[in-house]
Amino acid sequence: MGFWAFFIIFASSAFFLHWYATNKALRFNAGIKEGSKLPSLPQYYGLYTLLWFIIPILSTFLIWTIFKPFLVDYLVIQKIPANLLNSFGGNPSLILSTVKAISLQNIFPGTKQELIDLAKYMNELKYSTSSSFYIAILFLGLIGSSFTLKKISSRFRARQSVESVNIKLLIFCSTIAILTTIGIVFSLIFEAIRFFEQIPFFDFLFGLSWSPQTAIREDQVASSGAFGAIPIFSGTLLITVIAMSVSIPVGLLSAIYLSEYATNNLRAFLKPILEILAGVPTVVYGFFAAITVGPFLKGLADSFGFSIASESAIAAGGVMGIMIIPFISSLSDDVINSVPNSLRDGSLAMGATKSETIKKVILPAALPGIVGAILLAVSRAIGETMIVVMAAGIAANLTANPFDSVTTVTVQIVTLLVGDQEFDSPKTLAAFALGITLFFVTLVLNLYALKIVKKYREKYD
Amino acid sequence: MQKNKIEAKKVSVFYNDKKALNEITLSIPEKKVTSLIGPSGCGKSTFLRCINRMNDTIEGCSMTGRILIDNKDINEKSLDPVLLRARVGMVFQKPNPFPKSIFENVAYGPKIHGLTQSSDELNELVEESLKKAGLFSEIKDRIHEPGTSLSGGQQQRLCIARAISISPEIILMDEPCSALDPIATAKIEELIDELAHNFTIVIVTHSMQQAARVSKQTAFFHMGNLIEVGKTDSIFSNPSEKKTQDYITGKIG
Ligand SMILES: Nc1ncnc2c1ncn2[C@@H]1O[C@H](COP(=O)(O)OP(=O)(O)O)[C@@H](O)[C@H]1O
Ligand SMILES: [Mg+2]
Repeated sequence: MGFWAFFIIFASSAFFLHWYATNKALRFNAGIKEGSKLPSLPQYYGLYTLLWFIIPILSTFLIWTIFKPFLVDYLVIQKIPANLLNSFGGNPSLILSTVKAISLQNIFPGTKQELIDLAKYMNELKYSTSSSFYIAILFLGLIGSSFTLKKISSRFRARQSVESVNIKLLIFCSTIAILTTIGIVFSLIFEAIRFFEQIPFFDFLFGLSWSPQTAIREDQVASSGAFGAIPIFSGTLLITVIAMSVSIPVGLLSAIYLSEYATNNLRAFLKPILEILAGVPTVVYGFFAAITVGPFLKGLADSFGFSIASESAIAAGGVMGIMIIPFISSLSDDVINSVPNSLRDGSLAMGATKSETIKKVILPAALPGIVGAILLAVSRAIGETMIVVMAAGIAANLTANPFDSVTTVTVQIVTLLVGDQEFDSPKTLAAFALGITLFFVTLVLNLYALKIVKKYREKYD
Repeated sequence: MQKNKIEAKKVSVFYNDKKALNEITLSIPEKKVTSLIGPSGCGKSTFLRCINRMNDTIEGCSMTGRILIDNKDINEKSLDPVLLRARVGMVFQKPNPFPKSIFENVAYGPKIHGLTQSSDELNELVEESLKKAGLFSEIKDRIHEPGTSLSGGQQQRLCIARAISISPEIILMDEPCSALDPIATAKIEELIDELAHNFTIVIVTHSMQQAARVSKQTAFFHMGNLIEVGKTDSIFSNPSEKKTQDYITGKIG
């Protein structure tokens, strides 16, 4: 039985069971006087039966898909002939990886026939789910649903039971996202630990020089690699500071204009336009920074008699700042708008002018929310990669000069992981150490920002 | 003879095209309490906001007719509404202290208008205003705590202290007790009596008992029209209009 045959049987029996259970409930009700009828509507009995048909099947299927690769490996290892094992020095996992490669069509001339046979066997196991498995899980489903069919009686409240199954399903779905996050963090942590086994933690955190190229062969001239992350952190900081010094004033002032001065119609028109800025892909901003802003700054400096690189922190940071403006303006606009009108009226009625009111009452009241918006924007700036790759270069200079080229954490992660990699060299593992640092910093920033925003919300709601 | 502080002459107010007030002509005596009563939506708040031109801040709101304070038209082009509002204070329905300390709330007006030269003078002015609002003894130890930490009635008295800190000539109150419990209400009413010695007060209220208790003159509004105005006693004991009678006996409203 192939998958499609299974699927058709599965779907039609599901359909049938639902109909059958509903009907059974209807028949139950039909012959009975008012008062001792079923406590829930008939379709709930149908639904409940259906659920108990589907759930056993799906969950077995899921578990099977997860554990099948391990089972396949195990079965293949059992099949290894003794002479082959000997020729591989008694190491079955070496054979297994060779077989895996062969099963993905990487057959080199002169490959042993035994290996090819094993690969064929492996593919067979992998791609054919046996009919017996399908029949078994269908059977499981039928057992599940037959139990519920039996339960149909005036003592069984199907609606509540469906409800509780529903809740469990929802909980299951929401845990998926959480588990994924935890999984990501752990994979980062484990690789980072491997990195720190080779490079001392404090050398990484406080070292002043970053050149991750290690010699792969003995005869290479390249240095042994240096993994001091300070230049990267400082580059990230420099670009973030530049970006924020563009986006905070512009974003905040436009938020003030939007919420306090623009008429409702104008605001309804301008705000979406500003928000479109947030939807432009960052690579487009990268183009703009690399092709327009960078050369423009270089030309400007040339005309003053300076010479600067066309890849500079200020080009990348400036354009990144423009990209972040809508974040700040849109969030701050919301925050300023949620300052109650009674405060505006109170201040105006005291004979304060509009700008006095904004400066002395509205902004102080909105400040926590604005700070929250800024922190969210900062974590966005720290995580931004594309613009920096394109406009700030990848040289890990330790500098505070905005006209130098610098690099950031995210850019380094990209350059470390693109191209050939060995997953045990510190060069590759360094990416994970950087990643976990980045994750940690943005996590703290976001938590802090959310806390501030929440505190602010509570105050006026 | 009593002097009229405010004279409204044929005042009509429109929200966009909707007429909210229809040719109101009303005189308000100096250093007395005048109350405006009437069913909700009849335009009491709208009229009140004409007196300090707060309606200017509402998009689409326009006014015709004249309002004179001390015989000067307040809508004259040369007159800055900001200066007008320093002379005409306002207390709102819901207490609206700024999210600042009690002290800063009261010091707000004197600071923006530059009323004091030194910080000692400012302290004194704040203290005096809080005393006039009957709040000082209750909060003198916590004057630097946030104004929002006070109870509702205290917040409203803080707002009154804030309003009188810049020595306005007129205080407008828009249902100042509608968010308060009876005890806090009694305190505010007492305070209004006190303040009437020095200020001209116009108070909007939905409680006829309150109007009877605090005011000398009462004006009854209905659907944007001024139905009747006169001495509070005679309005309540012996109204000359049928509608007023219906309202105070609870038949409309
Ligand atoms: N900002 C506004 N925009 C449009 N209409 C308003 C506004 N404020 C009040 N109105 C209308 O004006 C009329 C009078 O309102 P208001 O002066 O608040 O009445 P009151 O204070 O007596 O309850 C009502 O019909 C109300 O709907
Ligand atoms: Mg009102």
